[in-house]
Amino acid sequence: MTLELQHAMKPRPRPDEAARGRFVSGIRSFILNDLAADLHHAYRTRAAGKFRAEHGHEPQSSAEAHKALRGDPAFNIYSSMRVQAQKMVWASVADGVARDAARLEAIAAETDADATVKLAADFVPPRNARAIDVHLMPGSYTGGEGMAAGATYDRGLAVFSMGLMGANLDDIGLSMAAYIKARYPDFSPKAMLDTGCTIGHNSLPWKKAYPGARLVATDVAAPGLRYGASRAKLQGVEADFMQMASDDLQFPDGSFDLVFSSMFLHELPKKVRAKTLQEAYRVLRPGGLMLHMELPPNGQMAPFEAFYLDWDSYYNNEPYYKGYRDEDPRALCATGGFAEESYFQFVVPSIGIYGEEAAKHAATSDAAHAVGAETTGRLADGVMWFGYGAWKK
Amino acid sequence: MEKVSGERQRPDDAPKGIYGPDGEPIFFAEPGVDRMMAVIMNLASELWVANERSLPADVDRDAEARAFIDRVFAPLREPKE
Repeated sequence: MTLELQHAMKPRPRPDEAARGRFVSGIRSFILNDLAADLHHAYRTRAAGKFRAEHGHEPQSSAEAHKALRGDPAFNIYSSMRVQAQKMVWASVADGVARDAARLEAIAAETDADATVKLAADFVPPRNARAIDVHLMPGSYTGGEGMAAGATYDRGLAVFSMGLMGANLDDIGLSMAAYIKARYPDFSPKAMLDTGCTIGHNSLPWKKAYPGARLVATDVAAPGLRYGASRAKLQGVEADFMQMASDDLQFPDGSFDLVFSSMFLHELPKKVRAKTLQEAYRVLRPGGLMLHMELPPNGQMAPFEAFYLDWDSYYNNEPYYKGYRDEDPRALCATGGFAEESYFQFVVPSIGIYGEEAAKHAATSDAAHAVGAETTGRLADGVMWFGYGAWKK
Repeated sequence: MEKVSGERQRPDDAPKGIYGPDGEPIFFAEPGVDRMMAVIMNLASELWVANERSLPADVDRDAEARAFIDRVFAPLREPKE
């Protein structure tokens, strides 16, 4: 399905652009559902057996599953089409974003959104954000003029997500916040920090969950922060957007009760990731919560399912993705300074697909802590989000 | 600011030979097939754009697009046992 954005910065596509976006959403659905099922079938009936014949055992890791699948016709078709479909996502919105540059600036001025944005003078985004076209998005998140990269991301995500990231592209934030509220009813943050917010689509649900708390959303990319500030204003959500790196937070010790991120840590090099968690620990108050929605770790998944997610690391310009998924999140939290026994993890059903009651049910059931092979982290029919965190004592 | 977008960074454990000289991933033994696949998808997209112009206003365009894709790309599905 083609998703219509829920704010005034939504595109006004020409008929041919709308049709092109519809085709890209449709072809992605075909690839991620039908061809992915074929890929799994080929692995079970062909690739794993061929690997066993050559190596004396079935694939035992994501890397071995990758090796088994390379060269298989189902893998070639799935992969070749997925790469091209990803390029088509961004191409399908490029003309509309270029045409709307002045309109976006007018909305920012009208809403006084820039007053809620604090850009850092002479700030140079780190190489992991500016040196590669992350997700194959031309110019990546830090490039281009004005708010174009933010608009490209928002509109591209609407095409990319096939409606599976929520009507407002905020399903991760909604689902995570609902889980935490139900699981920890006494937790009442006064100040919340999102690190790596891009356009803040998963930041704003936390303000709705805890309206009395101050929300600060940070990122290294100025275009997304400015766009996100306008988006927040248009949706009537109060938030401050600040440009800074997650491994060098410009806040005093003990400034926040909640530090969170959504699909962010896997974009960071290993050393930056470790420092990011140390910074989260530093800026949390005692009793505060660090929480990350992320891809589930390879150590908790079977080889095929692990590689199915790791595919993006090799073929979607996300070079740190597999290294991140090879890490143990409990150990990662410990490197940040969190006590090992304060670690917890969970899988929450998508609110947009399963409803709020399902998220609340997951919060009250310890059975919901296990990673499911088929759906967790996959953007396909039946989305489940993996989260983990730790409390600062 | 230094312009570096477009630079290639790869996972540390990326197997050898999975990218071509231009940095693009290679899947088929004949790398030209990867490029042909992109051409086929672009052509299908443009054909859909032309096709959608002729649809009546009250038709579910998402469903029609998906049916079009299923028809055009059916030969790529794994054979049913």
